[in-house]
Amino acid sequence: MKILLLEDEYSLRISIVEFLMKKTIMISLLVSTSLFAADYSSVIEKPNASELIQKDLLPPAKVFTMPSNCVTNDKDSIARGAFIFHNLNGGKVKGKLPKGLAKKNANGKSKQYGNCVACHNIEGAVGAGNIGPDLTGYKAIFVDSGVRDNQFVYQKIADPRVENANTHMTVNLTTKLFNEQEICDMTSYIVSER
Amino acid sequence: MKTGIKIALSITLLSSLSFAGEQFAMSDSDRAMYTDMLENNPADLMISNGEELLEEYCGGDAGVAAFFNISEDDLPAYIAGFPRYLKEFKQVVTVSQALQGLMSKNTHKPFKLKSSDMFDMSAYVKTLANGEKSNIDVNADKYIKEAFVLGEKTYMTARGGRGLSCNSCHSADIVGAVLRTQPLPDLTSKGVAVAATWPAYRMTKSSLRTLPRRFQGCMKNALLKVIPLGSPEMVALEVYLTHEAKGTEVAIPGLKR
Ligand code: HEC
Ligand code: HEC
Repeated sequence: MKILLLEDEYSLRISIVEFLMKKTIMISLLVSTSLFAADYSSVIEKPNASELIQKDLLPPAKVFTMPSNCVTNDKDSIARGAFIFHNLNGGKVKGKLPKGLAKKNANGKSKQYGNCVACHNIEGAVGAGNIGPDLTGYKAIFVDSGVRDNQFVYQKIADPRVENANTHMTVNLTTKLFNEQEICDMTSYIVSER
Repeated sequence: MKTGIKIALSITLLSSLSFAGEQFAMSDSDRAMYTDMLENNPADLMISNGEELLEEYCGGDAGVAAFFNISEDDLPAYIAGFPRYLKEFKQVVTVSQALQGLMSKNTHKPFKLKSSDMFDMSAYVKTLANGEKSNIDVNADKYIKEAFVLGEKTYMTARGGRGLSCNSCHSADIVGAVLRTQPLPDLTSKGVAVAATWPAYRMTKSSLRTLPRRFQGCMKNALLKVIPLGSPEMVALEVYLTHEAKGTEVAIPGLKR
């Protein structure tokens, strides 16, 4: 009995040892495959963009009330409005600018203008686009007829989404690309006698 | 190339000449040059450079096929199905990213995604799919499904100084309208081949450009913060627009304004 038991115990031990050895071989095999299996996830370029996008998002649509004395016959204001309408940015501009307008921002970067002409035709436009309505003769056709007023034009330029949530037009004041005065300059230009 | 830079044409533009009228009429000599470029695309030079680079760093076509574990015969259709999820990369990858993996496997330092060498080499690999139908499968697995959704979201997100999204200028209702003398190309109607025609030679840049590089151009022009090549959103945009080109014939290099 005792001998038998010993024998059993012996063979049991052997099989445990065998089992453990197999297991370590299996484990080391597993380890080595996961170490040497192809993994290219760290060698490719995959920079983060979501933070960039997050900071760049457009705030919700905003209602603006035109400041008093906004729309004016002042020549300089209309000249600035016209200039912003017809130009893309300060880097592309040669020659003199209207009084009160700069080529560069305070940070030294070239100032962005409206490039409205990319989408709108208007008197004297060169290379105008047709994504937005033609603004030629705007005062007579839209303002004097009572279809539009200055506040409408101001709001449309400041944030066109208020009137049309799916607009293709640029947002100009909510984005802080322009300040109130510049929106007034553009409004004055559009509703002026040209 | 000087005059080539000046001529305002692209395939989009050519096809829109009929309705866009006088404004875009081109002189006979410009038309002749454009036709000539269509036959002799300057990008062919860059693409043969890409072929040499692939030979040197990736073991040529055979090296690429082996890397993807497929036969060389299957390579064209396989390339026509990028971007795709590859488990060895743990993500959806573009051809360029896959080539970065292969370069590193071959113990070379991968070309940067924005390097002209990578443009040339990935463009060459994409030409292998010429004649195939673009066959991306955005339902193949959950990763590519997610990429498609992210791509659409990125495409629709208004941002930047002017509050524009890709869709502001490329939505179906304004296709063909003119933005500062440029007719707006249709990118998202079913069967629009745009994504299957990039990489392309851009005459205004006198260089070979990839689709994601083109996206960056639009972002820069429209004042959207330019997002980096290889970022999940950039790959996703490529997935989104490539899906629109599904079923159209791959024809690379394209020739663009
Ligand atoms: C990317 C195209 C685009 C750009 C750039 C653009 N617009 Fe517009 N604009 C439109 C569209 C489209 C409409 C039609 C109404 C709408 O969808 O909001 C519109 C409408 C307008 C209207 C209202 C016309 C009316 O009475 O119904 C005014 C005024 C206007 N834009 C001025 C401007 C000014 C000023 C700028 C430059 C700061 C500008 N737009 C830039 C596309 C554009
Ligand atoms: C302000 C308008 C505008 C915005 C916003 C815009 N695009 Fe464009 N896009 C254009 C114009 C105009 C062209 C054609 C220009 C040309 O022919 O050179 C164009 C061309 C393209 C092309 C090339 C099409 C072809 O024929 O091969 C692609 C791709 C493209 N855009 C993608 C995008 C993506 C992606 C976004 C957003 C990140 C975007 N665009 C945002 C105006 C825009």
